[in-house]
Amino acid sequence: MVSSNTDARSAIRGWLQENVTGGREVPNEEPLIDNGVMTSLQTVELVVFLEDTFGIVVEDEEFDEENFGSVEAIARLVESKAA
Amino acid sequence: MRPRPEFTLHDLLYNAVSRDPDKVAVVDGDASYTYEDLERESSALGAALADSGVKGGDRVGVLVEKSWEAIVAMLAASRIGAAYVNVNPLFKAPQVEYLASDCDVRVMIGDTPKLDELGPKTLDTAFYRGAEPEGQAAGSYVAVAEAMKGEGRTEDSKVSESDLGTILYTSGSTGMPKGVATSQRNLVVGAQIVSTYLENTPEDRILSALPLNFDAGMSQFTTSLRAGATLYLLRSRLPGDLFKALRRHEITGVTGVPPLWALLIRGSKSIRDKPLRHLRYLANTGGRIPQANLDELRHLLEPAGTKIFLMYGLTEAFRSTYLAPDEVWRSSPEQGNCIGKAIPNTEIMVITKDGREAAPGEHGELVHRGPTVAMGYWGNEEATRKAYRPNPLAPPELLDVERVVYSGDTVKRDEEGYLYFLGREDAMIKNQGYRLSPEEVENLLLSSGLVHEACAFGVENPAVGQDVIAVISLRNGAEDGTIDRIREHVIKNGPPYMVPKEIFVEDELPKTGSGKIDRKGISNAYANG
Repeated sequence: MVSSNTDARSAIRGWLQENVTGGREVPNEEPLIDNGVMTSLQTVELVVFLEDTFGIVVEDEEFDEENFGSVEAIARLVESKAA
Repeated sequence: MRPRPEFTLHDLLYNAVSRDPDKVAVVDGDASYTYEDLERESSALGAALADSGVKGGDRVGVLVEKSWEAIVAMLAASRIGAAYVNVNPLFKAPQVEYLASDCDVRVMIGDTPKLDELGPKTLDTAFYRGAEPEGQAAGSYVAVAEAMKGEGRTEDSKVSESDLGTILYTSGSTGMPKGVATSQRNLVVGAQIVSTYLENTPEDRILSALPLNFDAGMSQFTTSLRAGATLYLLRSRLPGDLFKALRRHEITGVTGVPPLWALLIRGSKSIRDKPLRHLRYLANTGGRIPQANLDELRHLLEPAGTKIFLMYGLTEAFRSTYLAPDEVWRSSPEQGNCIGKAIPNTEIMVITKDGREAAPGEHGELVHRGPTVAMGYWGNEEATRKAYRPNPLAPPELLDVERVVYSGDTVKRDEEGYLYFLGREDAMIKNQGYRLSPEEVENLLLSSGLVHEACAFGVENPAVGQDVIAVISLRNGAEDGTIDRIREHVIKNGPPYMVPKEIFVEDELPKTGSGKIDRKGISNAYANG
């Protein structure tokens, strides 16, 4: 577990690069769901990563397109929980 | 008004409107639309399609994501005797262009960003949703919103149940995706059969959670239309949105594929705290639910009164068998992966390699006979003759009058008549409910220009069906980052389920005696580590 002030954006981008995009850097604002970047199963893996890395719990109702639509949106969710 | 006999999709629409024009037919986000709206806007759009040159028998592409416009588009095409072709929203431009050329789609209804990705002159006319397109994909453009509000009206009487209703693109064990030509009769009978065993009524609030290009996903639309029920469109594949839709709309029926239930189970705590009391049924299709997940689903949902249906089907004949709620226990691996018995109005035969009906316990191919047997593969006579064959058990006097579907699935039947799925002998890959042929993955890898030879195959993984694995050799040897560049190409040019989970590099791929890449040998070598 890393401290909560670790930059969430770069951690999420790094995870996507490693596990989803085959090395391509994902801009913070790029739509992840509409463009079919992530499958739903990869999103579940991402949530596990976020929970382990930042010591947060993502509630079922929060696990939606609004919160997972882009790196920026995910980072905001993480920051709101870690704060 | 007296109900019309059900021959075409718009007969179903006519009956629903006659029953209650103000009934909500479709809910899309915060907007709801009545059956009267559906009648009026599909008629206006149908007239606009006809004005743009669409004639009976033509194909109309639907490239809008699941939305009110997509629902209206299907009925609009149907009302002028054209066939709608729903395009997988995960497709990238190369797959859309392949499909448009394969069944000669000249007119498409699409979201502007998707249309703009297509090459110049892919289409004659595009009806766009969203901003005015900037690309050159079509010769002329019409705003779909305006067309749906137009004054024109269709004449529905010219369409019969024998007409082509839709083409459903699906992959097989070899080659590129094939279009299953499906008649109006296939669509209507499919809706009758499914709404009969799910006991749908106008009071149902049905969730559309699957894509509309998938036969089982289109089925929520056709069954809801037939029942005069309300259809709730869900585009998101994330559990939070699924939960909110189930609760907020008090959904009574949901149909999905195994990965959807994995997401549902993730929220087991909130289901235990607040049971889904409105959910009357849950139906699974597109593959086996891993047993642990099925047990958990039953445990979570059955106490609140939800009934679980397990269905088996193939696009070539819509649905084939099902297990009713009180028989779901039979599907466990200990019981031998039972897939139930034939759906109503359908006969399922088990045919041996020498063309006999198999004895109980004997292995054979599942062969489907009944009114949902589709018309064949569009423009592919060879594949059609292979899958759609004369009924092997017909009396000689009737030989070759009736076509049945050979599924390619090996099954057996027990003494009581229950069918058991045993496997497939060909190389078809099934990932997250999607069918894929190895060649589709291999062609996508080769089109990167970096790959010399490619071999793709499926490896069992209960969570998703099968993982896609690829073994390749490289054109110019392995430099740093080559695999990343290949992976990036594949992600950019193909849907996510076509992206190999793992890509292995060899100097050269093993060949068979005839010089072809030895896919079987390579996949066996992988399986044995």
